[in-house]
Amino acid sequence: MACTISLNTISCRAQSRSCLVLKGDKSKLPCLISFSNSLQSKDFKISIWSDQKLPTARSTRGLSTQAFFWNKPKPTSRQDEKAQELFVYEINERDRASPAYLKLSQKEVHSLGDLVPFTNKLYSGDLQKRLGITAGLCVLIQNVPERKGDRFEAIYSFYFGDYGHIAVQGAYLTYEDTYLAVTGGSGIFEGVYGTVKLKQIVFPFKLFYTFYLKGIKDLPAELVVKPVAPTPSVEPSAAAKAAEPQAAVSNFTN
Amino acid sequence: MATASSISATLPATKLRPTGAAFLLPQKAALPFRPSKQPSLLSLSTRNNKSISKSSISCCAAADSRSSTKVQELHLYEINERDRGSPAYLRLSQKTVNSLGDLVPFSNKIYTGDLKKRAGITAGICILIKNEAEKKGDRYEAIYSVHLGDYGSISVQGAYLTYEDTYLAVTGGSGIFEGVYGQVKLQQIIFPFKIKYTFYLKGIQDLPAELLGDPVPPSLQVEPTPAAKACESGATIPNYSN
Repeated sequence: MACTISLNTISCRAQSRSCLVLKGDKSKLPCLISFSNSLQSKDFKISIWSDQKLPTARSTRGLSTQAFFWNKPKPTSRQDEKAQELFVYEINERDRASPAYLKLSQKEVHSLGDLVPFTNKLYSGDLQKRLGITAGLCVLIQNVPERKGDRFEAIYSFYFGDYGHIAVQGAYLTYEDTYLAVTGGSGIFEGVYGTVKLKQIVFPFKLFYTFYLKGIKDLPAELVVKPVAPTPSVEPSAAAKAAEPQAAVSNFTN
Repeated sequence: MATASSISATLPATKLRPTGAAFLLPQKAALPFRPSKQPSLLSLSTRNNKSISKSSISCCAAADSRSSTKVQELHLYEINERDRGSPAYLRLSQKTVNSLGDLVPFSNKIYTGDLKKRAGITAGICILIKNEAEKKGDRYEAIYSVHLGDYGSISVQGAYLTYEDTYLAVTGGSGIFEGVYGQVKLQQIIFPFKIKYTFYLKGIQDLPAELLGDPVPPSLQVEPTPAAKACESGATIPNYSN
């Protein structure tokens, strides 16, 4: 008696859960799979009831799932995959006509309806290399007078020359740091997912980003640098500002 | 309804692509992403050195760490037939030359890669980032979706350069494309009326045969079949988006 159990209805994107789908009607292995997991320890158990009616319980730890059928271990869930950190600086040097504040709400105070397309320059975390640009749109959501700032919904991309680009979306608050979602990428960032932390240094001219990227191969050494600590006085090196060949990535986006 | 003449007046003063076979020649630096430019089925390369054994039992794609890397290619044509009021060039920068601040919402028709069936529409916005005078074109940040009737939709985000091909990120999808990730290559055939897409999709089930017909190679003369243009029954996908 073959059984197929699809656990697709279980939210596979929930924290630290993994989802097992049995396919193949020809499977001769009647079984019941149940699992539970502990969010704290990220252990989880798989109890498998084979047709010998002997439960085979295994507990796992960390990244590998020593499940019954697979030959090789795999991460238990997307949450467990190790993230790569990528540090970049976004600097507005006021030479790209950016930002373009479109006061479409036609009110004096910042209001829903205002749109702010923007594009700034992107430098590596150690401020030694010009990487490319950011480009996208901030949609003003609300003015927050008690914090003396605004909430925007930002949808934009980071361009890294020949390496490709990373697309992000999320909240941009002019008065505090936020995390945005990494929605995708191209080139070496194809298939990327994760989050990025936005830290404002000098509004709106200098921002420091920490990407936590998953789903991609190891980043090239050129991008993995020890970042300069973000302070209001940080500046890119003169060579990077001039985008001299040794101070810029290949075909840096401009 | 925008007529052809009004559209040409509002379009950025850029070019039709070179006639003849010029566009078939390899572009200078058009395809800059050497590392993983042409994903193939052989790229069952693993992430983090983990692999999935191909047995009759497989792990739910949505939950694993994206180490199942079967890539599916989806070919589509986007054609502006000038009957949707698109594009709407909003010159919000109020400058005579294309400048940051201009927004271009748009919506065009989508046909299957074999140009035999009407599949749906694109819908979204292009944000002008920079006018590239020496390239006689513009850089846009494009954020839009491809709507494919009952099959669902695919959302993309990335650079649209009017003077060269680009890759955009696939940010997500709905329907049969739920959970999709990957990238899409955008090839301009005739700016801005004909565009060919090659989607490299991961994370979804096998695409239906209807969407996988042999793609027509891009050329200036490509046209959907008359039946597809007329949306006759049999020449559309189910409940094609309009």
